[in-house]
Amino acid sequence: MEYALPTAPGPFIQLGRTLVADALKLRRTAALWLALGGGALPVLLNLLIFYFKGQYFVKPGTNPWPMYVGMSWQTASVLLLPLFVVLLSGLVVNLENRGGWRQLLAQPVSRGAVFGSKLLLLLGLNAVAQALYVLLLLAAGVLLGWLRPDLGFQNNAIGLLPVLRMLGHTYVATLGILGVQYALALAFRGFVGPLAVGIAGIVSALTLLRWEHIDLVPYAAPTRILRLLEGDTQLSVAAALSPAEWYSLGWFALAVLVGYLLLLRRPVTD
Amino acid sequence: MHSASTAAPLLESHDLSFRFGARPILHALNLRVEAGSIYGFLGPNGAGKSTTMRLLLGLLWPSSGTVQLFGYELARHRVALLGRVGALIESPSLYDHLTGRENVEATRRLRGVPAHRTAEVLALVGLAADAHRPAREYSLGMRQRLGLALALLPNPDLLLLDEPTNGLDPTGIIEMRALLRSLCHEHGKTILVSSHLISEIEKTVTHVGVIQRGRLVFQGSLPDLQRLQTGRAQLVLETENATTCRHLLPHLLAGATVAGPGTLQLPWLSREHAAELAAGLASAGQPIYGLRQEQPTLEDTFLHLTESANE
Repeated sequence: MEYALPTAPGPFIQLGRTLVADALKLRRTAALWLALGGGALPVLLNLLIFYFKGQYFVKPGTNPWPMYVGMSWQTASVLLLPLFVVLLSGLVVNLENRGGWRQLLAQPVSRGAVFGSKLLLLLGLNAVAQALYVLLLLAAGVLLGWLRPDLGFQNNAIGLLPVLRMLGHTYVATLGILGVQYALALAFRGFVGPLAVGIAGIVSALTLLRWEHIDLVPYAAPTRILRLLEGDTQLSVAAALSPAEWYSLGWFALAVLVGYLLLLRRPVTD
Repeated sequence: MHSASTAAPLLESHDLSFRFGARPILHALNLRVEAGSIYGFLGPNGAGKSTTMRLLLGLLWPSSGTVQLFGYELARHRVALLGRVGALIESPSLYDHLTGRENVEATRRLRGVPAHRTAEVLALVGLAADAHRPAREYSLGMRQRLGLALALLPNPDLLLLDEPTNGLDPTGIIEMRALLRSLCHEHGKTILVSSHLISEIEKTVTHVGVIQRGRLVFQGSLPDLQRLQTGRAQLVLETENATTCRHLLPHLLAGATVAGPGTLQLPWLSREHAAELAAGLASAGQPIYGLRQEQPTLEDTFLHLTESANE
């Protein structure tokens, strides 16, 4: 052979390079702002509720933290969190929908690296958003201690372990939605299609909450795990995964496989 | 970098065919791009140029046939081979929310290219001063140049440029031609450049492939294409009355067509035939205001090639 075959970078180097490039592309995007600021909305709503009306549901002398965390988590998980994951996955994939795929898939990286990079980015942004939400939630509780000393936030403590456990459960519960929405975004090649399916999924999940097989529906998982929040005086959260979380993981695995095959076999005609 | 004297072509396709569903788009293309050449890939819009470019980059998969880059099959070694290829496919796909520099940086990081290349390619395409501006503020010409900067980033041995002069003003087109020549002659790049206008690239290319309706109707060097024209020279006669002349000299003006009231056009046969025609006209008492040989332009040849493929 007259030309030497160039050496291809290893799969992990390809994945790493694609991920670094994808992270750079997030600059000044709605996806990044959503991930950084999305958690503030439920915290702010709850802060206002407790600031103006806290005296109606916090009994004097009791620990307000369990109720505060539970109410806030409920505000976040039922509607806002699934909607956040739907929007985030759509926005991240949509960055490539104006000809970006053509440019990206003509580069010397495998389609597996392209797929894996965006998936890792989504998982990372989802984790950052949820961690920021918890930090904001705790910070807002401390703030309430200063603004409304009569509610007793400053005199009581909240155990960090149950909060972190709940964070872990919620993260696992959102993986099913994330996987399905990522695969849908790759299949639709536009923003509106996956958004419409996502909203339909959320509405259906909320409508079917009393169905005996609701744990099978990934969009209901963040709501289904709210029952893990227990305790009036001290928050407690079981460590074991609930059925909804297992199904969420199953959906995630299936959707990741389907999404990968979609991208792998995709002819670039746009 | 490989030697330009290497015998094997840098890019080669063997019976490359593509169909979109049941509709055939490309028919058994056998492209051959020699190292160190500027290969003009010509064809009218819709002939299959962009589809071919996408097949050459592994964006589409052929229904049959193969693509070889640097002597290796693209289908088996895509990632390794594309490391030595820079491409601009149709209008460059830029991230409008990023600045020009950030667009280059994203591709640079993806390809693992050294950091100093970003400033180098931006300077090379004349965008250094505008690199801080968001790409959404760029004109079409600037976008095209930024797309070229992305293609040049890895210092590739092979450049695949799909209609790179699209959207450029006349000055931009001239600059692009000069840049392509300099990249080939001074930097040793092999370039495959597609266009639907031969006039845009005839001063730049060394080789030409003409595609029409998914078939390669010509492939060869520029002199090969020019030689095709010699058989298509015309003899143009300017006289008083073209129709009268044709009636008076039916044998000598057998293949003539009346191009105007006093103008006849016929295929050029030989110098002797031209002299005989002049003598015949003079003896028939017809005035000769002009008698000249006309060579078709490359554009005429290109049109002839693409039209005959249509028939």
